[in-house]
Amino acid sequence: MAPRNCVLCEKNKAMLKRPKTGQQICKDCFFYVFETEVHNTITDAKLFSPGDRVAIGASGGKDSTVLAYVMKTLNERYAYGLDLFLLSIDEGITGYRDDSLETVKRNQQQYSMPLKILSYDELYGWTMDSIVKQVGRKNNCTFCGVFRRQALDRGAAMLGVDHIVTGHNADDIAETVLMNIMRGDIARLGRCTSIVTQGEDTIKRSKPFKYTYEKEIVMYAYFKKLDYFSTECIYSPDAYRGHARTFLKNLEAARPSAIIDIIHSGEAFEIREEVKATQKVQQTCRRCGYMASNDLCKACTLLEGLERGMDTTGITERARKKMEAEGPAPSNLRTIPFYKRTAGSPAVMIESSPA
Amino acid sequence: MSSCGAPAAEGGEALMQKRQKYDKSKNCVRCKDNIGNIVVRHAVYCKNCFSPMIAAKFRRGVEPYVNEAPKGRRRLKASGNILVGLSGGVGSTVILDLVNQSYFAPRTDTPGGKEHPRFNERIWQKGFVCYVDISAVFPNMRDRTNEVRNAAKTYDALEFILVRLENAFDDSWWTSVGGKPSNSELFVDFADQDLLITAISDSNTDPVAALRTFISALPTQTAISQAIPTLVRVLLLYTARHLGVSHVLLGTSLTSLSISLISSISQGGGFTVREESDEQWMAPGSTTPIRIIKPLQDVGMKECSAWAWWHGLPVVQKEKLPGTGQDIAALTKDFIVGLEKDYPSTVSTIAKTCAKLAPKHGSVRRCLLCERPIQEGIDDWLTRTSIRSLSIGNTTPRFSTARLTPSLCYSCHTTLTSKSSRGATKSTSSFVRLPVWLSAGLQSAEYSMFQIPDERDQPAEKTSAKDTEVWQTRKIGQQEMKHAIGDFLIEDSGQ
Ligand SMILES: [Zn+2]
Ligand SMILES: [Zn+2]
Ligand SMILES: [Zn+2]
Ligand SMILES: [Zn+2]
Repeated sequence: MAPRNCVLCEKNKAMLKRPKTGQQICKDCFFYVFETEVHNTITDAKLFSPGDRVAIGASGGKDSTVLAYVMKTLNERYAYGLDLFLLSIDEGITGYRDDSLETVKRNQQQYSMPLKILSYDELYGWTMDSIVKQVGRKNNCTFCGVFRRQALDRGAAMLGVDHIVTGHNADDIAETVLMNIMRGDIARLGRCTSIVTQGEDTIKRSKPFKYTYEKEIVMYAYFKKLDYFSTECIYSPDAYRGHARTFLKNLEAARPSAIIDIIHSGEAFEIREEVKATQKVQQTCRRCGYMASNDLCKACTLLEGLERGMDTTGITERARKKMEAEGPAPSNLRTIPFYKRTAGSPAVMIESSPA
Repeated sequence: MSSCGAPAAEGGEALMQKRQKYDKSKNCVRCKDNIGNIVVRHAVYCKNCFSPMIAAKFRRGVEPYVNEAPKGRRRLKASGNILVGLSGGVGSTVILDLVNQSYFAPRTDTPGGKEHPRFNERIWQKGFVCYVDISAVFPNMRDRTNEVRNAAKTYDALEFILVRLENAFDDSWWTSVGGKPSNSELFVDFADQDLLITAISDSNTDPVAALRTFISALPTQTAISQAIPTLVRVLLLYTARHLGVSHVLLGTSLTSLSISLISSISQGGGFTVREESDEQWMAPGSTTPIRIIKPLQDVGMKECSAWAWWHGLPVVQKEKLPGTGQDIAALTKDFIVGLEKDYPSTVSTIAKTCAKLAPKHGSVRRCLLCERPIQEGIDDWLTRTSIRSLSIGNTTPRFSTARLTPSLCYSCHTTLTSKSSRGATKSTSSFVRLPVWLSAGLQSAEYSMFQIPDERDQPAEKTSAKDTEVWQTRKIGQQEMKHAIGDFLIEDSGQ
């Protein structure tokens, strides 16, 4: 390919073809459009107010590593006035902790952001390793997903932050739109494209990378020389989601705008009013106080199943009913501490230096 | 984002159920006597009971959209005629058969036959079958008009109407269906994100040539497979208006509805998701809408095929467009059909989910290309989320040129402008003639603006893992990142 000039600045030599638009641009213009689109996303949705305490959900993976970098950059460039924190969840997976938490700890130093690490073990009394040992390789994604979500909220409550930002990118959101349509999950379909989600009692969460392509996140890390770790299941736990992911990659290959087009679609429709009325009302878990759609929240149901050796409980409605039919939970059951939001006043000491 | 590759696996989502066995009994659920011949959603039907079941479903899909007769004792009377869109494929062949059997053919099985009160007066005064021939779109495509015409011959109560895809670029056709002839030919530059419009006096008015230029100027294969059905649909609608039609019936099955829903959403058509299953079209300057109905949208492809087979209907093989297969429509079809084998509830779930959706905002304008509602603010959204120019807010409209972009829906705009990732991007401007209704729309008073590969990472080196290890953690080095994005790097940056 003959070297051409960047179509944006028309000065520098083009160094890359932008995955999202196909435009040939230079490195500086790439940084500029990448960061400015995130900034647009943040300002258009009025995500923050000056003085907000914001936790970045940090896993050491590419999305959160780049998110931490970009959040710091934009906070300084546009004077958002945010207090930024890193919040990391230790799932308790052999070999995972040391490497990816090392990245997070390095970020803590580089960006001088306070870091809080919360472990499944400390919160639930179970590590993912011990869960997998008991339930096998099936369904562990369900446990991981449920436990992580609640752990992030609890970690944020301990830090006393107002807001959690996560590294969900455009590919994740487009995939979720397709999944929710194919599975008929109308409630999730209604909220999966909204940039901010907040339950009555949970901490505000948002996705500044909502319109950011996964490929461009990798590209950004590459050009900025940011290191990250990739952690993946080595087998496909939810075959259905795997199909959806492959399908989305094929769509993107056919026409790169497909990812943002799907998100646009998801933003253009909503659940019809008549259908909304039939949606389940939000409750709080009677055991741990976290939001729930049943008597017990998902985490408590899963945990009780684990403790009582009935492993698929909480994954299907039927298994949950079966467990309930087997009688009440034993009184010595290990449970999750009661959830209480304490925004503004950190309930824990924040580690000030990496170990 | 998350470690398990399930970014949104928050809060334990429902897992899809794999294929279920149908009811144990081998006998028909309806008559309980005959051995079943076909399984319809876990229920077994015999051949005799199957046909009335489908016919009843069909009528339930049509009649709620037809008005009752003024002094009707539960009788129906449509405000206009009926038109069946026939492609020659299974669905449309079946719907033609059903329309004829239910509303036009004298019934032999009812006592009283033709004299039966229900058939004294037809619901629709006249019936039409319309075939849109697309063979001119590429050279060497077979013209199937005669086969389709023959297939429709049996239904002599319905008049056969032939329309050709190139009519979309044919002023004489446009005037023949009552369109106002445009006073100048409008051309658009597909290479420009803003889709600049120019009026050019062009001596070459050959519709076939104009059609082929239009198609070949489209930026992707996906755009071609999207543009053709759009042109077909709008040609059908203007034909229907000219024929005084109140109801257009299409043979979209449940399977094809689900495919087109996912395909449309993947092309940015979320705002018009409802129009995929039920649409009302108001012709410019008209006061009565035309209703586009898909009465087989609850009937699977398999059942349609069974109907066609048991009733001996002549299905005309569709001809594949050259170059298709890797476009979004074809990928979606392969995906859904493949998924349906393992998860048979997929197609009905997709349709049911989408039926619960509505556009977030109202709409006052129609897209000038596809004639569907436009969502406002698209232009702005695109410039905020995908920056294509450094001079934001400084897009001075070039003098004496008009932009087509504001008159298009998101989906059509994407069709005309969104580029492929492969190959050099076409940068030479190519002026392409616009379909006749689009030219007319731009010049009409209401648009006065014219005055002014992702590689899965293989488990690698760093496995401190035992057999029971489920997760794999690796540092991603510069080389690997580069590998993942290598297709998009123009040359080694030297770092
Ligand atoms: Zn540049
Ligand atoms: Zn709970
Ligand atoms: Zn029977
Ligand atoms: Zn359109």
